[in-house]
Amino acid sequence: MALLSLSLARHVARGLQPLRRLCAAGWLREADVDLCLRLLHPALRLNRVFARVEARRWVADDVLAIELRCNGNTRDWRAGQHVQLYLEQDGVRHGRSYSLTSVAADGRIELAIKRQPGGRLSNVLLDHLEVGEVVELGQAFGDFAWPQEQGAVLLLAAGSGITPLLGLLRDALARGFSAPVTLLHQVRRRGQQAFAEELQALAARYTNFQVRWAFSGEDGGRLTAEQLAALPGAHLLICGPRGFVDQACGWWRDAGRGRSLQAESFSPLPVLAEADTGEVRLRFARSGQQVSGNGNASLLEQAEASGLRPAHGCRQGICTSCTCLLLAGTVRDLRSGELFAEPGQPIRLCVSAPHGDVEVDL
Amino acid sequence: MCQRPAWGCGGRSVTARVDRELNPAELEAFGQELDALRQRTLADLGEADARYIRRVRGVVRLCCWSGRALLMLGWFPPTWLLGTFLLGLGKILENMELGHNVMHGQYDWMNDPEFAGRQYEWDIVGPADFWRHTHNHVHHTYTNVLGMDDDVGYGVVRLFPEQRWKPFYRWQPLWVTIQALLFQYAVAIQHLRLDKLVKGRISKEEVRPLARQFGAKLARQWGKDYLLFPLLALLLGANALAVLTGNLVANLLRNLWTFLVIFCGHFTEKAAVFAPEVLEGETRGHWYLRQLRGSSNLSGGPLLHILTGNLSHQIEHHLFPDLPARRYAELAREVRLIAERYGQHYNCGTLWGQFSTVLRRIWIYRLPAAGMA
Repeated sequence: MALLSLSLARHVARGLQPLRRLCAAGWLREADVDLCLRLLHPALRLNRVFARVEARRWVADDVLAIELRCNGNTRDWRAGQHVQLYLEQDGVRHGRSYSLTSVAADGRIELAIKRQPGGRLSNVLLDHLEVGEVVELGQAFGDFAWPQEQGAVLLLAAGSGITPLLGLLRDALARGFSAPVTLLHQVRRRGQQAFAEELQALAARYTNFQVRWAFSGEDGGRLTAEQLAALPGAHLLICGPRGFVDQACGWWRDAGRGRSLQAESFSPLPVLAEADTGEVRLRFARSGQQVSGNGNASLLEQAEASGLRPAHGCRQGICTSCTCLLLAGTVRDLRSGELFAEPGQPIRLCVSAPHGDVEVDL
Repeated sequence: MCQRPAWGCGGRSVTARVDRELNPAELEAFGQELDALRQRTLADLGEADARYIRRVRGVVRLCCWSGRALLMLGWFPPTWLLGTFLLGLGKILENMELGHNVMHGQYDWMNDPEFAGRQYEWDIVGPADFWRHTHNHVHHTYTNVLGMDDDVGYGVVRLFPEQRWKPFYRWQPLWVTIQALLFQYAVAIQHLRLDKLVKGRISKEEVRPLARQFGAKLARQWGKDYLLFPLLALLLGANALAVLTGNLVANLLRNLWTFLVIFCGHFTEKAAVFAPEVLEGETRGHWYLRQLRGSSNLSGGPLLHILTGNLSHQIEHHLFPDLPARRYAELAREVRLIAERYGQHYNCGTLWGQFSTVLRRIWIYRLPAAGMA
């Protein structure tokens, strides 16, 4: 049971700076301090972000919006960014990335979670995450942002691609953005129009905003180049599965409208077929490098070949000196052939080969 | 029949091991059996392992905090003794079953930052980064290879006849006693390579940043045990000297215990050392075989295993350094069967049985022409 309310705990969190310094300098163990803080409120921690579920509501047949109130450890979060939500299963802390559909000054945020058939985490979250529960989040990341210049804005979303765009839209309209804004949301069938009521209410309230839906499961429902050409806008913000985003961006550029374009796609990176060990794309996130590699050699060798100097030791998987986080994609353990594709999972570079395009925290 | 390993060292040892030589096909099969065992265990990791390591962390906290609290009660013998004992016990568990194992990446699969091997910092004077290099990399890659694995005697002790004798070793029973008393410092300064500095093989500039890092950690550890808590005692009106001596004795207990366990891991009567040539073109099967021949186990009950951080299963730890240590006991049954099937000696004995052979090595090899059994 919490001794403090969460809003009071947030104030307490601000005053813990001396403790944070002692932990950073190694005088105190952060986990020990966190243990004591948890007694004050289950979401209270020194540095890690924990949040309490405040409300849950269905915004489409298969999309749940959850409102969370974070402890005081969030850093400059903005709508449109993503945040990792962690859930422990069988002793493993799994993380999944969700877009922030709203960020309030008092620490309340909203995430929208879409049901993934056969998904490991989404179904548990949708069916079992109760109001009052406490979950762990990562720090928000991503640089999807509303255009700085004036001019009509076109928002294109497919499926759960609506979530970061909704966050940006709510923010922009509330700030008084006055140029025309058009949103086209493509979903497979009726009933999947997430936040439909709210979008209609926004359209009724702000005359410069209009919203449309397309149903890709119906004949002629899928977005075409002609339809895109007919939609107004000088700036395009687009989010959805990779195929949808790549195609629409191509049309946008072909039509000569390509100057202002921000795109985000959330499909998993392509995975190599079993026998294929051809060319793959490697992204080293921390050093900001993207290089082409292959599926045969270890990530350590390939990172070194492109001029990086990752920490390493035995080069045979024993010493864990080269452990770093897999951010996206699939890697193959060169010793066992086993595949790993969990985002945020620690991997050993020296015994992991890319199995398709890969992004690592290096 | 007593046969010397063909790729082992040339010199004589106290007692030769009786190991069958394996042909390349057998070595390959031997490696595959151990790989398969590793895979089976990896696939089975889950909730129970996560719960275990969290429980260990809880016990460490309970021991250390209650020990420190009891020491605040001053010289009153029962509380001082119990407080010192609990603090020592907490430090031993933190060092062995928690720190050592977490830093091997045994719990990296949990994806919990608290148990992430690459960022854990433990409660001893040696910075964790030093250990991740000297132990995880150097010692576990070059186990018992002369000239490559500094853990063989830690530069102070001659334990095998294959090590070149120096006059300094004449007094090694004394050096090793000092080392045992100050074991955490011996392990910490290993990374500074002071011997190479003295010989002029590395420059002062190379050592300086490491020395600074060591100094910072040393200041923190001493500050905590010998300054902060005694001062806290003064503040609370308790006996600062009782707290200080309690901390001192707790650290001493841990030094002696870890020395005992570590020396029993690789320097027992039947542990083998290897010439650097074994590393040339070493296959996975070879590597496994070297780990098996170079390590020695301690038999005993669950309490012994936990207190040694399961390094009582040194053989299993060296074969599978990144599998959670609580699995070693069950792995040991299969490893022993595999070793038997391939005609390899499985070096296992009681703590005192094994340690007496270590002492014997320390005594015998203090002299250049060691008397052989």
